[in-house]
Amino acid sequence: MAATKLLSEVTGSVWEITAQVGQKLAPGDTVMVLESMKMEIPVLCEDGGTLTEILVAKGDSVAEGQPLAVVAS
Amino acid sequence: MSATPENPAAQRQAQLDADFEQRQAHAMAMGGSRKLDRRREQGVLNARERIDRLFDAGSFIESGLFATSAVPADSANTPTDGKLAGFGRIQGRESAAVANDFTVMGASSGATNGRKIGHIKRVATQRGLPLVFLGESSGARMPDHMGSRGMGLLLGNDGAQYQRLREIPWASATLGLSYGSSSWYSVMSDFHVMRKGAVLAVSSSLLASMAVKEDVDPQELGGWKLHAEVTGFADMVVDTDEEAIDAIKRFLSYLPGHHQEAPPVASVPAGSGQGMADILKLLPASRSQVYDVRQIIRTLVDTDSFFELKARFGRVGVTGLARLGGRTVGIVANNPLYKGGALDTDACEKITSFLVLCDSFNIPIVMLVDTPGFVIGTEAERRRAPGKIMNFMNALSLVTVPKLSLVLRKSYGQAYLNMGGGRNSDEFAGWPTAEISFMDPQFAVKVVHGLSPGEPGFESAQAEMDKASSVWDIASVYAMQSVVRPQDSRDYLIRMLEVHELRLTRGVGKHLMQAWPTSY
Repeated sequence: MAATKLLSEVTGSVWEITAQVGQKLAPGDTVMVLESMKMEIPVLCEDGGTLTEILVAKGDSVAEGQPLAVVAS
Repeated sequence: MSATPENPAAQRQAQLDADFEQRQAHAMAMGGSRKLDRRREQGVLNARERIDRLFDAGSFIESGLFATSAVPADSANTPTDGKLAGFGRIQGRESAAVANDFTVMGASSGATNGRKIGHIKRVATQRGLPLVFLGESSGARMPDHMGSRGMGLLLGNDGAQYQRLREIPWASATLGLSYGSSSWYSVMSDFHVMRKGAVLAVSSSLLASMAVKEDVDPQELGGWKLHAEVTGFADMVVDTDEEAIDAIKRFLSYLPGHHQEAPPVASVPAGSGQGMADILKLLPASRSQVYDVRQIIRTLVDTDSFFELKARFGRVGVTGLARLGGRTVGIVANNPLYKGGALDTDACEKITSFLVLCDSFNIPIVMLVDTPGFVIGTEAERRRAPGKIMNFMNALSLVTVPKLSLVLRKSYGQAYLNMGGGRNSDEFAGWPTAEISFMDPQFAVKVVHGLSPGEPGFESAQAEMDKASSVWDIASVYAMQSVVRPQDSRDYLIRMLEVHELRLTRGVGKHLMQAWPTSY
């Protein structure tokens, strides 16, 4: 099983976490939503897999490139 | 007429035929049944199967079937010298191709196959034929290239070998381990597809490991993820050889055979435009909500005609070929699904290279705009954002094919210009939902009034800013030529492309960027 880290594409804050650890994700599913530039920007699991870890909490500030979650595929 | 001692002409003919057929069979056997069987077990096509897949049945005429290595000791075991070359028809149109045969000395580059590539390139360029490279090569052949004599004989004898003037379309596939010239031709192409599992790099992981004295993983060195997401060298990634070759055929179907003709016109598929009545539903009512602009693109263009390029690279910018009313167009769009549509340096590079492609091959450009601007901040500056933004802007200003810009929602600041605002497009239009200003009204309220959300007076100040950003104000001063209802957009674009057809030159632009780099 390969583990892939989902990275933040933007600098912003965690608006909402929409998936749970252990959840199976289809390609394109949303894991969490960030708030940046006055917009709600989803963090997508591009290739699908199982969500094994969430590395941030609601309200956290995140930097561009910061790991947000881990997906096993 | 039978071959008998009484019939010397027939006997001579039979001898010639037998010799020809024996030599032909040897060449067609490639690197031998053991290597070919192994490929078959791996589910990988061999070079001849790839050529068969590429060209219309029965249309391939080979060039250099009897070519072999110029090194006498290798001549018997180097059929075609490891690179198949020739001409054939792709969907009825004459084309040219070079397919590496990895079963013959790893399709390494040698003197003879270098001449084959040179000939195919010259013919294709002089006669206006699209050129296809099917890449899989271990790089320069050793020991042929070793020493100063080897270098002198094998390298640098064709000063135009790596010159790219975009007179004909180049399409390439990386279908295995690809180093050296095989990689060079791929990254110089207008379209490059990679099969998963293939590797494209300057040199092999073995050589790289020796150079840096640590193990280098081939996929990390040059695998599909690297080139799809980081370098942007892969325009598309597929799972099989067959899909890769089909992708090349599809790419070429949008392009003219050469730069002095207009792209081919296709019939309009049934059902095209049928989603237009509901297209506004794809745009969220709230300005803070994002969406995938590709849904809007697919609704606008002819059914199933959207062919996205570099889908995993610079994703805030969407680029792809499509058809509107049967005619090829290049779509450039912002995608708010990623980074809210804020343009980053990867997107700038991606859009720039796409503008160069479209302009070089007479493909009109349609821009769909929804961007809060360029990504700003220290990271963007470190990535040379000003240079990338101006390359993009310069390319747009050098475009001589028709370019239409349609603002769906936000268009702010310098990005307004880069996405065709004002006279940076031939027709500038917007949906009634468009907002145009120097910056997002919320930020403008902070700059102008010093107010933040929640503070007294913020809401009324923002309402004032919002009103001033409406599409009606810019339309009233005719800095935007048309306000288009979403449901009318397809008809508008098709009609306006008819108006702007390059009649004086029969659809051919000026190609001011034909010698621009193929990567930045």
